[in-house]
Amino acid sequence: MAEMVRKSSVDEVLNHWILAGSCILLVITGFAFLFHMESVGGVFGGFDTMKSVHNWAGVVFSVSLLYSMRHYLADALHYDADDRQWFKVAGGYLSHKVKVPPMGKYNPGQKLYYLIILLAGIAIALSGFAIWFMKDNGSIMLLAHLVHNVAFVVFVVVVPVHIYLGTLANPGTFGIMVTGTMPLETAKKRHPKWIS
Amino acid sequence: MANNTNTSRKAILVTPELCIGCRACQVACKSWNQLSAIKTKNNGTYQNPPDLASAAYNMIQYSEVPSDQNAVRWLFLSRRCMHCEDAGCMTICPSPGALYRTDDGAVAFDRDKCIGCKLCVNACPFDVPRYDAEDKVTKCHLCFDRIGAGMEPACTKTCPTGALKFGDRDELVGAAKQEGFGTIYGEKDLGGLGSIYAFKEEPKLYGMKENPEIPSSVVFWHTYLKPLSLIGLGGVVGAAAIHYLAIGPHKDQEEEV
Ligand code: HEM
Ligand code: SF4
Ligand code: SF4
Ligand code: SF4
Repeated sequence: MAEMVRKSSVDEVLNHWILAGSCILLVITGFAFLFHMESVGGVFGGFDTMKSVHNWAGVVFSVSLLYSMRHYLADALHYDADDRQWFKVAGGYLSHKVKVPPMGKYNPGQKLYYLIILLAGIAIALSGFAIWFMKDNGSIMLLAHLVHNVAFVVFVVVVPVHIYLGTLANPGTFGIMVTGTMPLETAKKRHPKWIS
Repeated sequence: MANNTNTSRKAILVTPELCIGCRACQVACKSWNQLSAIKTKNNGTYQNPPDLASAAYNMIQYSEVPSDQNAVRWLFLSRRCMHCEDAGCMTICPSPGALYRTDDGAVAFDRDKCIGCKLCVNACPFDVPRYDAEDKVTKCHLCFDRIGAGMEPACTKTCPTGALKFGDRDELVGAAKQEGFGTIYGEKDLGGLGSIYAFKEEPKLYGMKENPEIPSSVVFWHTYLKPLSLIGLGGVVGAAAIHYLAIGPHKDQEEEV
Protein backbone atom coordinates (compact mmCIF):
# COMPACT_ATOMS: atom_id res chain seq x y z
CA MET A 1 0.00 0.00 0.00
CA ALA A 2 1.18 3.47 -0.86
CA GLU A 3 2.49 5.61 1.94
CA MET A 4 -0.21 8.03 3.14
CA VAL A 5 0.01 11.46 4.75
CA ARG A 6 -2.67 12.95 6.94
CA LYS A 7 -4.15 16.07 5.34
CA SER A 8 -7.26 16.51 7.48
CA SER A 9 -7.77 15.70 11.12
CA VAL A 10 -10.62 13.45 12.14
CA ASP A 11 -12.61 16.32 13.61
CA GLU A 12 -12.13 18.32 10.40
CA VAL A 13 -13.52 15.47 8.29
CA LEU A 14 -16.43 14.99 10.71
CA ASN A 15 -17.25 18.66 10.81
CA HIS A 16 -17.02 18.87 7.04
CA TRP A 17 -19.76 16.25 6.70
CA ILE A 18 -21.94 17.92 9.28
CA LEU A 19 -21.53 21.20 7.42
CA ALA A 20 -22.11 19.62 4.02
CA GLY A 21 -25.05 17.51 5.15
CA SER A 22 -26.86 20.35 6.88
CA CYS A 23 -26.14 22.66 3.96
CA ILE A 24 -27.56 20.26 1.38
CA LEU A 25 -30.62 19.67 3.54
CA LEU A 26 -31.06 23.44 3.83
CA VAL A 27 -30.68 23.95 0.09
CA ILE A 28 -33.22 21.23 -0.71
CA THR A 29 -35.80 22.48 1.80
CA GLY A 30 -35.02 26.06 0.77
CA PHE A 31 -35.78 25.26 -2.86
CA ALA A 32 -38.97 23.54 -1.74
CA PHE A 33 -40.09 26.76 0.01
CA LEU A 34 -39.15 28.91 -2.95
CA PHE A 35 -40.89 26.86 -5.58
CA HIS A 36 -43.68 25.30 -3.51
CA MET A 37 -42.42 21.78 -4.18
CA GLU A 38 -45.16 19.77 -2.54
CA SER A 39 -43.45 16.45 -3.23
CA VAL A 40 -40.40 17.56 -1.23
CA GLY A 41 -42.68 18.84 1.53
CA GLY A 42 -44.38 15.45 1.51
CA VAL A 43 -41.10 13.72 2.31
CA PHE A 44 -41.03 15.64 5.58
CA GLY A 45 -44.71 15.08 6.23
CA GLY A 46 -45.76 18.60 5.30
CA PHE A 47 -44.37 22.09 5.16
CA ASP A 48 -44.84 22.75 8.85
CA THR A 49 -42.44 19.95 9.79
CA MET A 50 -40.17 20.85 6.91
CA LYS A 51 -39.94 24.33 8.35
CA SER A 52 -38.76 22.91 11.69
CA VAL A 53 -36.28 20.69 9.88
CA HIS A 54 -35.00 23.69 7.93
CA ASN A 55 -34.71 25.85 11.02
CA TRP A 56 -32.91 23.25 13.13
CA ALA A 57 -30.65 22.22 10.26
CA GLY A 58 -29.86 25.94 10.21
CA VAL A 59 -28.74 25.76 13.81
CA VAL A 60 -26.49 22.77 13.07
CA PHE A 61 -25.14 24.51 9.98
CA SER A 62 -24.37 27.71 11.91
CA VAL A 63 -22.48 25.93 14.69
CA SER A 64 -20.59 23.79 12.21
CA LEU A 65 -19.69 26.83 10.12
CA LEU A 66 -18.27 28.66 13.13
CA TYR A 67 -16.31 25.57 14.15
CA SER A 68 -14.87 25.24 10.63
CA MET A 69 -13.01 28.53 11.13
CA ARG A 70 -10.53 26.56 13.26
CA HIS A 71 -9.60 24.45 10.30
CA TYR A 72 -9.53 26.84 7.40
CA LEU A 73 -9.60 30.51 8.35
CA ALA A 74 -5.90 31.04 8.97
CA ASP A 75 -4.97 29.41 5.65
CA ALA A 76 -7.74 31.22 3.81
CA LEU A 77 -6.42 34.62 4.80
CA HIS A 78 -2.91 34.05 3.55
CA TYR A 79 -1.91 34.50 -0.10
CA ASP A 80 1.55 34.58 -1.72
CA ALA A 81 3.11 35.22 -5.16
CA ASP A 82 2.46 31.66 -6.33
CA ASP A 83 -1.20 32.18 -5.49
CA ARG A 84 -1.33 35.23 -7.74
CA GLN A 85 0.29 33.24 -10.53
CA TRP A 86 -2.25 30.46 -9.90
CA PHE A 87 -5.08 32.85 -10.76
CA LYS A 88 -3.29 33.90 -13.97
CA VAL A 89 -3.28 30.30 -15.20
CA ALA A 90 -6.78 29.67 -13.79
CA GLY A 91 -5.36 26.93 -11.64
CA GLY A 92 -4.63 24.87 -14.74
CA TYR A 93 -8.31 24.06 -15.03
CA LEU A 94 -8.78 25.64 -18.46
CA SER A 95 -5.82 23.93 -20.10
CA HIS A 96 -3.59 21.07 -19.11
CA LYS A 97 -0.66 22.67 -20.94
CA VAL A 98 -0.03 25.64 -18.67
CA LYS A 99 2.45 25.41 -15.84
CA VAL A 100 0.71 25.64 -12.48
CA PRO A 101 2.85 27.15 -9.72
CA PRO A 102 3.62 24.97 -6.68
CA MET A 103 0.84 25.02 -4.09
CA GLY A 104 0.69 24.75 -0.33
CA LYS A 105 -2.01 22.89 1.55
CA TYR A 106 -4.80 24.77 -0.24
CA ASN A 107 -4.85 26.57 -3.55
CA PRO A 108 -6.13 30.17 -3.60
CA GLY A 109 -9.36 29.06 -5.27
CA GLN A 110 -10.11 26.87 -2.28
CA LYS A 111 -9.12 29.63 0.12
CA LEU A 112 -11.40 32.14 -1.59
CA TYR A 113 -14.15 29.56 -1.67
CA TYR A 114 -13.88 29.21 2.08
CA LEU A 115 -14.12 32.96 2.61
CA ILE A 116 -17.20 33.15 0.36
CA ILE A 117 -18.87 30.29 2.25
CA LEU A 118 -17.99 31.86 5.57
CA LEU A 119 -19.36 35.29 4.65
CA ALA A 120 -22.43 34.06 2.77
CA GLY A 121 -22.93 31.50 5.54
CA ILE A 122 -22.90 34.14 8.25
CA ALA A 123 -25.30 36.25 6.17
CA ILE A 124 -27.70 33.36 5.52
CA ALA A 125 -27.55 32.23 9.15
CA LEU A 126 -28.12 35.68 10.67
CA SER A 127 -30.94 36.44 8.24
CA GLY A 128 -32.41 32.99 8.85
CA PHE A 129 -32.47 33.56 12.59
CA ALA A 130 -34.03 36.98 11.99
CA ILE A 131 -36.85 35.46 9.89
CA TRP A 132 -37.32 32.86 12.58
CA PHE A 133 -37.30 35.04 15.66
CA MET A 134 -37.94 38.65 14.66
CA LYS A 135 -41.29 38.13 12.97
CA ASP A 136 -42.82 41.25 14.40
CA ASN A 137 -40.30 43.71 13.03
CA GLY A 138 -41.40 44.45 9.48
CA SER A 139 -38.29 46.14 8.16
CA ILE A 140 -35.93 43.55 9.65
CA MET A 141 -38.09 40.77 8.20
CA LEU A 142 -38.03 42.23 4.69
CA LEU A 143 -34.29 42.88 4.86
CA ALA A 144 -33.61 39.41 6.24
CA HIS A 145 -35.79 37.83 3.57
CA LEU A 146 -33.78 39.61 0.88
CA VAL A 147 -30.37 38.80 2.43
CA HIS A 148 -31.38 35.17 2.99
CA ASN A 149 -32.22 34.79 -0.66
CA VAL A 150 -29.21 36.69 -2.06
CA ALA A 151 -26.95 34.45 0.04
CA PHE A 152 -28.94 31.46 -1.18
CA VAL A 153 -28.10 32.33 -4.80
CA VAL A 154 -24.41 32.52 -3.81
CA PHE A 155 -24.65 29.08 -2.19
CA VAL A 156 -26.34 27.32 -5.08
CA VAL A 157 -23.68 28.66 -7.44
CA VAL A 158 -20.49 28.07 -5.46
CA VAL A 159 -21.33 24.82 -3.65
CA PRO A 160 -21.78 22.73 -6.82
CA VAL A 161 -18.48 24.08 -8.17
CA HIS A 162 -16.82 22.94 -4.94
CA ILE A 163 -18.43 19.51 -5.18
CA TYR A 164 -17.33 19.11 -8.81
CA LEU A 165 -13.76 20.17 -8.07
CA GLY A 166 -13.62 17.91 -5.03
CA THR A 167 -14.80 14.83 -6.92
CA LEU A 168 -14.82 14.42 -10.71
CA ALA A 169 -12.44 17.24 -11.58
CA ASN A 170 -9.67 16.12 -9.23
CA PRO A 171 -9.68 12.34 -8.97
CA GLY A 172 -8.56 11.15 -5.58
CA THR A 173 -9.49 14.33 -3.70
CA PHE A 174 -12.73 12.88 -2.39
CA GLY A 175 -10.75 10.26 -0.49
CA ILE A 176 -9.34 12.98 1.75
CA MET A 177 -12.83 13.68 3.04
CA VAL A 178 -13.27 10.00 3.83
CA THR A 179 -9.98 8.97 5.43
CA GLY A 180 -8.42 12.35 6.09
CA THR A 181 -5.32 11.17 4.29
CA MET A 182 -3.85 11.12 0.79
CA PRO A 183 -0.95 9.23 -0.85
CA LEU A 184 2.38 10.90 -0.14
CA GLU A 185 3.32 10.71 -3.83
CA THR A 186 0.22 12.65 -4.92
CA ALA A 187 0.73 15.15 -2.12
CA LYS A 188 4.26 15.83 -3.34
CA LYS A 189 2.90 16.69 -6.78
CA ARG A 190 -0.17 18.65 -5.74
CA HIS A 191 0.98 20.32 -2.51
CA PRO A 192 4.80 20.56 -2.74
CA LYS A 193 5.02 23.58 -0.45
CA TRP A 194 2.90 21.90 2.20
CA ILE A 195 4.79 18.62 2.12
CA SER A 196 8.25 20.14 2.40
CA MET B 1 -46.96 38.41 -11.01
CA ALA B 2 -50.72 38.15 -11.27
CA ASN B 3 -51.83 35.08 -9.41
CA ASN B 4 -54.94 34.64 -11.46
CA THR B 5 -57.06 36.19 -14.12
CA ASN B 6 -60.68 35.30 -14.25
CA THR B 7 -63.72 36.85 -15.70
CA SER B 8 -66.17 35.79 -13.01
CA ARG B 9 -64.31 37.75 -10.39
CA LYS B 10 -66.45 38.81 -7.46
CA ALA B 11 -65.88 41.92 -5.39
CA ILE B 12 -67.15 44.04 -2.54
CA LEU B 13 -67.88 47.64 -3.43
CA VAL B 14 -67.53 49.94 -0.44
CA THR B 15 -69.20 53.33 -0.67
CA PRO B 16 -67.98 55.09 2.47
CA GLU B 17 -70.35 58.02 1.90
CA LEU B 18 -73.32 55.74 2.59
CA CYS B 19 -71.88 54.23 5.74
CA ILE B 20 -73.50 55.25 9.02
CA GLY B 21 -70.97 53.53 11.23
CA CYS B 22 -73.45 51.09 12.74
CA ARG B 23 -70.88 48.29 12.69
CA ALA B 24 -73.44 45.64 11.91
CA CYS B 25 -70.87 44.37 9.38
CA GLN B 26 -68.34 43.76 12.13
CA VAL B 27 -70.85 41.79 14.14
CA ALA B 28 -72.09 39.78 11.15
CA CYS B 29 -68.53 38.84 10.28
CA LYS B 30 -67.79 37.67 13.80
CA SER B 31 -71.00 35.73 13.92
CA TRP B 32 -70.46 33.87 10.64
CA ASN B 33 -66.80 33.16 11.30
CA GLN B 34 -67.32 32.38 14.97
CA LEU B 35 -64.79 34.94 16.10
CA SER B 36 -64.66 35.80 19.76
CA ALA B 37 -65.16 39.25 21.21
CA ILE B 38 -62.05 41.29 21.91
CA LYS B 39 -61.56 43.26 25.10
CA THR B 40 -60.56 46.76 24.05
CA LYS B 41 -59.90 50.02 25.85
CA ASN B 42 -61.51 53.35 25.17
CA ASN B 43 -58.79 55.33 23.54
CA GLY B 44 -60.71 58.49 22.82
CA THR B 45 -62.55 57.42 19.70
CA TYR B 46 -65.65 55.45 18.85
CA GLN B 47 -63.56 53.23 16.64
CA ASN B 48 -63.69 49.76 18.09
CA PRO B 49 -61.74 47.50 17.71
CA PRO B 50 -58.74 49.78 17.34
CA ASP B 51 -57.27 47.66 14.53
CA LEU B 52 -57.82 44.50 12.51
CA ALA B 53 -57.14 41.43 14.63
CA SER B 54 -57.24 37.67 14.48
CA ALA B 55 -60.82 37.93 15.77
CA ALA B 56 -61.68 41.00 13.66
CA TYR B 57 -61.52 40.34 9.93
CA ASN B 58 -63.20 43.64 9.14
CA MET B 59 -63.63 46.91 10.96
CA ILE B 60 -64.91 50.42 10.50
CA GLN B 61 -62.14 52.97 10.71
CA TYR B 62 -63.39 56.27 12.13
CA SER B 63 -61.65 59.50 11.17
CA GLU B 64 -62.65 62.93 12.35
CA VAL B 65 -62.03 65.26 9.45
CA PRO B 66 -63.82 68.63 9.88
CA SER B 67 -64.63 70.49 6.66
CA ASP B 68 -65.63 74.10 5.93
CA GLN B 69 -69.37 73.37 6.03
CA ASN B 70 -69.17 70.79 8.71
CA ALA B 71 -67.30 71.36 11.96
CA VAL B 72 -68.05 67.88 13.17
CA ARG B 73 -67.50 65.38 10.42
CA TRP B 74 -66.90 61.70 10.81
CA LEU B 75 -65.67 59.52 8.02
CA PHE B 76 -66.32 55.80 8.15
CA LEU B 77 -64.21 53.36 6.20
CA SER B 78 -64.69 49.64 6.05
CA ARG B 79 -61.28 47.97 6.26
CA ARG B 80 -60.59 44.37 5.38
CA CYS B 81 -58.44 42.28 3.06
CA MET B 82 -58.40 43.81 -0.42
CA HIS B 83 -58.21 40.47 -2.26
CA CYS B 84 -55.56 41.94 -4.54
CA GLU B 85 -55.18 40.42 -7.99
CA ASP B 86 -51.45 40.87 -7.48
CA ALA B 87 -51.39 39.66 -3.89
CA GLY B 88 -48.12 40.28 -2.04
CA CYS B 89 -49.15 37.84 0.66
CA MET B 90 -49.51 34.98 -1.82
CA THR B 91 -46.34 35.91 -3.64
CA ILE B 92 -44.12 35.69 -0.57
CA CYS B 93 -45.76 32.77 1.24
CA PRO B 94 -43.38 29.78 1.29
CA SER B 95 -46.07 27.22 2.08
CA PRO B 96 -48.21 26.10 -0.87
CA GLY B 97 -51.92 26.30 -0.21
CA ALA B 98 -51.64 28.36 2.97
CA LEU B 99 -52.97 31.31 1.00
CA TYR B 100 -54.89 30.49 -2.14
CA ARG B 101 -57.11 32.03 -4.79
CA THR B 102 -60.69 30.84 -5.03
CA ASP B 103 -62.59 30.60 -8.30
CA ASP B 104 -64.42 33.78 -7.34
CA GLY B 105 -61.14 35.66 -7.02
CA ALA B 106 -60.95 35.76 -3.22
CA VAL B 107 -57.66 35.27 -1.39
CA ALA B 108 -58.51 32.64 1.19
CA PHE B 109 -56.33 30.85 3.73
CA ASP B 110 -55.93 27.34 5.07
CA ARG B 111 -54.61 27.55 8.59
CA ASP B 112 -53.54 23.90 8.58
CA LYS B 113 -51.07 24.68 5.82
CA CYS B 114 -49.74 27.91 7.34
CA ILE B 115 -46.29 27.49 8.85
CA GLY B 116 -46.58 30.70 10.86
CA CYS B 117 -43.56 32.43 9.35
CA LYS B 118 -45.35 35.80 9.18
CA LEU B 119 -43.74 36.73 5.90
CA CYS B 120 -47.14 37.54 4.40
CA VAL B 121 -47.87 40.39 6.78
CA ASN B 122 -44.74 42.16 5.62
CA ALA B 123 -45.52 41.72 1.95
CA CYS B 124 -49.10 42.99 2.25
CA PRO B 125 -49.41 46.61 1.14
CA PHE B 126 -52.47 47.06 3.38
CA ASP B 127 -51.25 45.59 6.67
CA VAL B 128 -54.01 42.99 6.67
CA PRO B 129 -52.93 39.50 7.78
CA ARG B 130 -53.11 38.80 11.50
CA TYR B 131 -52.09 35.77 13.55
CA ASP B 132 -54.12 33.80 16.00
CA ALA B 133 -52.91 32.42 19.31
CA GLU B 134 -51.22 29.53 17.52
CA ASP B 135 -49.41 31.82 15.11
CA LYS B 136 -51.52 30.88 12.13
CA VAL B 137 -52.66 33.39 9.55
CA THR B 138 -56.17 34.86 9.70
CA LYS B 139 -57.91 37.53 7.66
CA CYS B 140 -61.04 38.31 5.66
CA HIS B 141 -61.59 35.57 3.07
CA LEU B 142 -64.51 37.22 1.28
CA CYS B 143 -66.77 34.61 2.88
CA PHE B 144 -65.62 32.25 0.13
CA ASP B 145 -67.63 29.49 1.81
CA ARG B 146 -70.84 31.51 1.57
CA ILE B 147 -70.16 32.71 -1.98
CA GLY B 148 -69.39 29.17 -3.03
CA ALA B 149 -72.85 28.18 -1.81
CA GLY B 150 -74.52 31.00 -3.72
CA MET B 151 -74.86 33.40 -0.80
CA GLU B 152 -73.27 36.78 -0.34
CA PRO B 153 -70.71 37.63 2.36
CA ALA B 154 -72.03 38.12 5.88
CA CYS B 155 -71.04 41.79 6.02
CA THR B 156 -72.67 42.86 2.74
CA LYS B 157 -75.78 40.85 3.54
CA THR B 158 -76.13 42.74 6.81
CA CYS B 159 -75.29 46.26 5.74
CA PRO B 160 -78.54 48.31 5.96
CA THR B 161 -77.48 51.24 3.79
CA GLY B 162 -75.82 49.79 0.71
CA ALA B 163 -72.40 51.01 1.85
CA LEU B 164 -71.24 47.44 1.26
CA LYS B 165 -72.32 45.75 -1.95
CA PHE B 166 -71.32 42.38 -3.28
CA GLY B 167 -71.39 41.26 -6.90
CA ASP B 168 -69.51 40.78 -10.14
CA ARG B 169 -66.52 43.02 -10.03
CA ASP B 170 -66.97 44.46 -13.52
CA GLU B 171 -70.62 45.22 -12.89
CA LEU B 172 -69.89 46.92 -9.56
CA VAL B 173 -67.22 49.12 -11.12
CA GLY B 174 -69.54 50.04 -14.01
CA ALA B 175 -72.44 50.84 -11.71
CA ALA B 176 -70.33 53.04 -9.42
CA LYS B 177 -69.02 54.99 -12.39
CA GLN B 178 -72.56 55.53 -13.67
CA GLU B 179 -73.55 56.90 -10.31
CA GLY B 180 -70.89 59.53 -10.84
CA PHE B 181 -68.10 58.38 -8.55
CA GLY B 182 -64.92 59.76 -10.02
CA THR B 183 -62.44 57.63 -8.16
CA ILE B 184 -62.89 53.89 -7.89
CA TYR B 185 -60.07 53.03 -5.52
CA GLY B 186 -58.63 49.67 -6.42
CA GLU B 187 -59.92 49.56 -9.99
CA LYS B 188 -56.37 49.28 -11.34
CA ASP B 189 -54.11 49.15 -8.27
CA LEU B 190 -52.15 45.91 -7.85
CA GLY B 191 -53.79 44.43 -10.91
CA GLY B 192 -57.19 45.37 -9.52
CA LEU B 193 -58.46 44.87 -5.99
CA GLY B 194 -61.33 42.65 -4.92
CA SER B 195 -62.41 45.24 -2.34
CA ILE B 196 -63.06 48.40 -4.30
CA TYR B 197 -64.04 51.78 -2.93
CA ALA B 198 -66.24 54.46 -4.51
CA PHE B 199 -65.05 57.87 -3.34
CA LYS B 200 -66.18 61.36 -4.21
CA GLU B 201 -63.33 62.82 -2.23
CA GLU B 202 -59.66 62.07 -2.03
CA PRO B 203 -59.14 58.48 -0.79
CA LYS B 204 -56.33 59.91 1.32
CA LEU B 205 -58.88 61.78 3.40
CA TYR B 206 -60.23 58.44 4.58
CA GLY B 207 -56.78 57.17 5.40
CA MET B 208 -56.39 55.09 2.25
CA LYS B 209 -52.89 54.44 1.00
CA GLU B 210 -52.27 56.48 -2.15
CA ASN B 211 -50.23 54.18 -4.35
CA PRO B 212 -50.37 50.76 -2.76
CA GLU B 213 -47.44 48.61 -3.81
CA ILE B 214 -45.85 45.33 -2.86
CA PRO B 215 -42.53 46.15 -1.12
CA SER B 216 -39.81 46.53 -3.77
CA SER B 217 -37.55 43.95 -2.10
CA VAL B 218 -40.31 41.36 -2.46
CA VAL B 219 -40.85 42.23 -6.12
CA PHE B 220 -37.08 42.05 -6.74
CA TRP B 221 -36.89 38.71 -4.97
CA HIS B 222 -39.80 37.31 -6.94
CA THR B 223 -38.77 38.55 -10.38
CA TYR B 224 -34.98 38.12 -10.18
CA LEU B 225 -33.67 36.16 -7.19
CA LYS B 226 -36.02 33.21 -7.45
CA PRO B 227 -35.30 32.49 -11.13
CA LEU B 228 -31.63 33.30 -10.57
CA SER B 229 -31.29 30.55 -7.99
CA LEU B 230 -32.47 27.98 -10.53
CA ILE B 231 -30.54 29.45 -13.46
CA GLY B 232 -27.43 29.71 -11.28
CA LEU B 233 -27.61 26.12 -10.12
CA GLY B 234 -28.41 24.81 -13.61
CA GLY B 235 -25.69 26.98 -15.11
CA VAL B 236 -22.87 25.70 -12.92
CA VAL B 237 -23.95 22.08 -13.23
CA GLY B 238 -23.99 22.52 -17.00
CA ALA B 239 -20.63 24.30 -16.98
CA ALA B 240 -19.11 21.51 -14.89
CA ALA B 241 -20.38 18.90 -17.32
CA ILE B 242 -18.97 20.81 -20.28
CA HIS B 243 -15.66 21.28 -18.48
CA TYR B 244 -15.45 17.59 -17.74
CA LEU B 245 -16.09 16.65 -21.35
CA ALA B 246 -14.14 19.39 -23.10
CA ILE B 247 -11.12 19.81 -20.84
CA GLY B 248 -11.27 16.87 -18.54
CA PRO B 249 -10.13 16.25 -15.00
CA HIS B 250 -6.87 17.36 -13.48
CA LYS B 251 -3.78 15.34 -14.38
CA ASP B 252 -0.84 15.41 -12.03
CA GLN B 253 2.14 16.83 -13.85
CA GLU B 254 4.94 14.34 -14.24
CA GLU B 255 8.11 14.97 -12.33
CA GLU B 256 9.85 17.63 -14.41
CA VAL B 257 13.32 18.95 -14.67
C1 HEM C 1 -26.98 26.96 3.72
C2 HEM C 1 -27.82 27.53 4.50
C3 HEM C 1 -29.25 27.90 4.15
C4 HEM C 1 -29.91 27.85 2.97
C5 HEM C 1 -29.36 27.39 1.66
C6 HEM C 1 -31.26 28.37 3.18
C7 HEM C 1 -32.22 28.53 2.20
C8 HEM C 1 -33.49 29.02 2.41
C9 HEM C 1 -34.44 29.31 1.39
C10 HEM C 1 -34.19 29.21 -0.09
C11 HEM C 1 -35.60 29.70 1.99
C12 HEM C 1 -36.92 30.07 1.32
C13 HEM C 1 -36.89 31.53 1.17
C14 HEM C 1 -38.18 32.16 1.16
O1 HEM C 1 -39.21 31.58 0.83
O2 HEM C 1 -38.13 33.31 1.50
C15 HEM C 1 -35.37 29.72 3.38
C16 HEM C 1 -36.28 30.12 4.32
C17 HEM C 1 -36.00 30.23 5.67
N1 HEM C 1 -34.80 29.95 6.28
FE1 HEM C 1 -33.14 29.31 5.39
N2 HEM C 1 -31.40 28.68 4.50
C18 HEM C 1 -30.19 28.42 5.12
C19 HEM C 1 -29.88 28.61 6.43
C20 HEM C 1 -30.78 29.03 7.37
C21 HEM C 1 -30.46 29.24 8.73
C22 HEM C 1 -29.06 29.10 9.32
C23 HEM C 1 -31.62 29.60 9.34
C24 HEM C 1 -31.85 29.92 10.78
C25 HEM C 1 -31.63 29.14 11.74
C26 HEM C 1 -32.68 29.63 8.35
C27 HEM C 1 -33.98 29.99 8.58
C28 HEM C 1 -34.94 30.17 7.62
C29 HEM C 1 -36.27 30.61 7.87
C30 HEM C 1 -36.84 30.95 9.22
C31 HEM C 1 -36.94 30.66 6.63
C32 HEM C 1 -38.39 31.12 6.36
C33 HEM C 1 -39.27 29.98 6.10
C34 HEM C 1 -39.34 29.13 7.29
O3 HEM C 1 -39.79 29.58 8.35
O4 HEM C 1 -38.93 28.00 7.17
N3 HEM C 1 -32.14 29.28 7.16
N4 HEM C 1 -34.08 29.30 3.63
S1 SF4 D 1 -54.76 43.00 1.03
FE1 SF4 D 1 -52.94 42.01 1.82
S2 SF4 D 1 -53.70 40.10 2.64
FE2 SF4 D 1 -55.30 40.86 1.28
S3 SF4 D 1 -54.86 39.92 -0.73
FE3 SF4 D 1 -53.84 41.92 -0.69
S4 SF4 D 1 -51.77 41.42 0.00
FE4 SF4 D 1 -53.03 39.68 0.55
S1 SF4 E 1 -47.56 33.09 7.96
FE1 SF4 E 1 -48.64 31.40 6.95
S2 SF4 E 1 -49.87 32.36 5.35
FE2 SF4 E 1 -48.34 33.88 6.02
S3 SF4 E 1 -46.61 33.65 4.59
FE3 SF4 E 1 -46.16 32.34 6.36
S4 SF4 E 1 -47.02 30.34 5.82
FE4 SF4 E 1 -47.92 31.80 4.39
S1 SF4 F 1 -73.02 47.56 8.14
FE1 SF4 F 1 -72.85 49.03 6.43
S2 SF4 F 1 -73.49 50.96 7.31
FE2 SF4 F 1 -73.11 49.62 9.05
S3 SF4 F 1 -70.95 50.04 9.55
FE3 SF4 F 1 -70.90 48.32 8.16
S4 SF4 F 1 -70.62 49.26 6.18
FE4 SF4 F 1 -71.28 50.88 7.53
